[in-house]
Amino acid sequence: MTELQLLDGCAAITEAALAAGCRFFAGYPMSPFTGLLESMSRRMTQAGGTCVNAESEIEGINMALGASAAGARAATGSCGQGIALMQEAIAEMALNQTPMVVFNMARNQQDYFQCTRGGGWGDYRTLTLAPKDVPEAAEHTQLLFWLAERHRMPVILYGDPVLAQTQVGVRIEPRDHGPLPPRDWVLDGSQGGTGHSRQVWTWAMGKVTDPGPGPDGQWRAMAEKFDRIAASEQRSEAYRTEDADTIVVAFGTAALFVAYVVDELRAEGMRVGLFRPVTLWPFPAAALAEVTRTASRVLVFELNAGQMLDDVRQHVHDRETVGFIGGVSIHESGLTFGPLLDAAPIRERIVSAIDGQAPASRPAGRGGAR
Amino acid sequence: MTESPLVDTTAPPPGADGAVPVARARPSLILGEHGLCPGCGEPVALRLLLEVLQELDLVTRAIGVVGHGCYGSFVTIMDVDVLQCLHGRAPSCATGIKRVRPDVAVFTLQGDGDMVNEGLQEVLHTAARSENVTCILLNNGVFGDTGGQQTATTVVGQRTKTSLEGRDPAVHGYPIPIADLVASLPGVAYVARGAVSTPGEVGRTKRLLRTAFERQLEGAGFGLVEILTMCPTGWFVPASSGPGYLAESMVATYALGELSLRGAR
Amino acid sequence: MEQGGVMEREVILSGIGGQGIQLLSKSLALAATMAGRYAMLAADYGGEMRGGPSQASVVIGDAPLRSLPILPSAGAAVLMHHKFSAFALERLRPDGLLVLNTSIVPAGSVGHPGRVAGFPVTALARDLGAPQSAGFVMLGAYVGLTGVVEPEALEQAMRRLLPPYRAQYGDANARAIEAGLTTARDQVTAS
Repeated sequence: MTELQLLDGCAAITEAALAAGCRFFAGYPMSPFTGLLESMSRRMTQAGGTCVNAESEIEGINMALGASAAGARAATGSCGQGIALMQEAIAEMALNQTPMVVFNMARNQQDYFQCTRGGGWGDYRTLTLAPKDVPEAAEHTQLLFWLAERHRMPVILYGDPVLAQTQVGVRIEPRDHGPLPPRDWVLDGSQGGTGHSRQVWTWAMGKVTDPGPGPDGQWRAMAEKFDRIAASEQRSEAYRTEDADTIVVAFGTAALFVAYVVDELRAEGMRVGLFRPVTLWPFPAAALAEVTRTASRVLVFELNAGQMLDDVRQHVHDRETVGFIGGVSIHESGLTFGPLLDAAPIRERIVSAIDGQAPASRPAGRGGAR
Repeated sequence: MTESPLVDTTAPPPGADGAVPVARARPSLILGEHGLCPGCGEPVALRLLLEVLQELDLVTRAIGVVGHGCYGSFVTIMDVDVLQCLHGRAPSCATGIKRVRPDVAVFTLQGDGDMVNEGLQEVLHTAARSENVTCILLNNGVFGDTGGQQTATTVVGQRTKTSLEGRDPAVHGYPIPIADLVASLPGVAYVARGAVSTPGEVGRTKRLLRTAFERQLEGAGFGLVEILTMCPTGWFVPASSGPGYLAESMVATYALGELSLRGAR
Repeated sequence: MEQGGVMEREVILSGIGGQGIQLLSKSLALAATMAGRYAMLAADYGGEMRGGPSQASVVIGDAPLRSLPILPSAGAAVLMHHKFSAFALERLRPDGLLVLNTSIVPAGSVGHPGRVAGFPVTALARDLGAPQSAGFVMLGAYVGLTGVVEPEALEQAMRRLLPPYRAQYGDANARAIEAGLTTARDQVTAS
């Protein structure tokens, strides 16, 4: 058994990435992602890999793209604003089938839309895991490098400042997630002059002597691939939901706090449970529908103006049961979550919704039809 | 406002029927016909690049990163392992590739719109970091693929779809001499400018390319070869006038030859 | 506090910046980790180099922890300074332990129904000839009162955490820990 180490999320992710064989990392400082760039910078050279402090986010992700296309296990990351800059490259990798792990250490709100809808072009998806704490982040990191290569696509680890900066005693055990497909797509420079030299291209036209599917064929195939992944890679956790009358839906660090409150309320006799999407995409629709079958109340708690709410409303057993108890809550520094990420206010919102004192409100900023 | 006398280059120029083919042999690394305009300089540059790779015995250890422009279609006819990347980002992709495969010859192939517009910071940062890659710039002073708009290298006086009266510094500012900028950075190993407008220039440019790759093989650091290419379509001139126009307009702004470097390497 | 049948021990340390509170808290958490126990450290400090808020929550237990990084309540609070102490005092449970640096925070100035222990650690550190080690006097006292980690482990963790350019403070810090332990023991014996 490996030793117990006191690591913050950034350091734990670094160790897990190295254990997974990651040997190329590039990124641009932006808190709370900066800690990950710094720990990669320290540890990657020790492990015989490369870490580049890129001069911009766009350069960083494109460096990582090149490294991955050339066969290295590569990763990059940023926080929400930087991930916004990387959207084109993320879509590109989804459509030209380049594996990539992107660490989104979000800053002060839960950017669910960015991970699941994205701002790139075309019918692309990013498989996203949202760990609730540092030990889970380390497990997810190793899993994500495997998934990225298994499915040849960009995948996201969704984190936040609490995950990035809380230090926890954790063991990083190397994991083997199983066999991977042959790496016959890697650009290693050796196929020149053979008439079958390799090509990584979103339009996938191939060479005139060895044609590929072309943009229409390629993008249809990608869309079908994402549909298959959507069916097979859903992950979630149902906590104390079996006889729950009220189910709270939350992800990431927020879910950690909700679980604590669920325990408190259960000890007082209330039948409350937590449904926690672990993959944000693919959203665990089937599990949510099943878990909420007998609930009279489904309360969405997220630290934003209502984003995962859309997917919950779409997939829950009964739309009429859904209420929103989350909200925007930002620390005065702008750099982390505000007072809503705390057991007491979360408990108050759940209890109010159950008691019917304050109706689970329509969240702010949600203009248009309900 | 006077109408600009745009030349229609959608049909072959008169006299083309009687044209005599000069050469038939195609290098084995070029798998098929290119689809670019008559008089375009880019296919000439491609041929020089591939000949150099063969002569230096790099064919089975070379990876190209190709940007977006008319030359983008070369990825279907060049028998070399290639990554077709996002507009402007080729030097960054090349960085990643070279860092994980240092024994492979890594090059980029980019137009002026790609490298000097969209990708200005990518090429400057890659050069400043002295990454051991060779960037090749096909400079025709215009966005050919999108129909002929102004780029950051369009020379003063040049007519484009977005500078119909000709580039005017008072309105459009000045072109960026990217090779000179790169040559001023410490740690850059080789910068040169060639052209493919005359047989003599073609020969000289091939030697520049060869030197650039030799430097990469020595591990000397970043190399840039800028190749002035004809774009009669984008320049609104007949195909046969391309070389002359290049000599008059571009060479005055972009001096040919090897540039002296600031850093000792 | 018991979490899922397992005891977890929480303490919130609060003071003003520099980084003393952070070093203390990490030493405590690391000492527990090195002994094979589970620890969590959630730090919170402002951007100022000096004089700003500096606080940390440490939880130690014998199984993977269930405590939240923002503690709903804590069994102990250690105040080196009165400024920026609102969070620590508000989260301290009524039956919890409050430890004060009485060189700066007068013993009677903070109302708390539970146990209050005061140590003049700033003065003690000065008397030791180690004025920068007041925090470690306090940490020694806290460990002396609670036995939450072994003193040797605490000293080992402290030395491991000192960056090379601060290594010269290792011995002073070790003496400070010892002084804190002694003071706490004396106070316990006397009461």
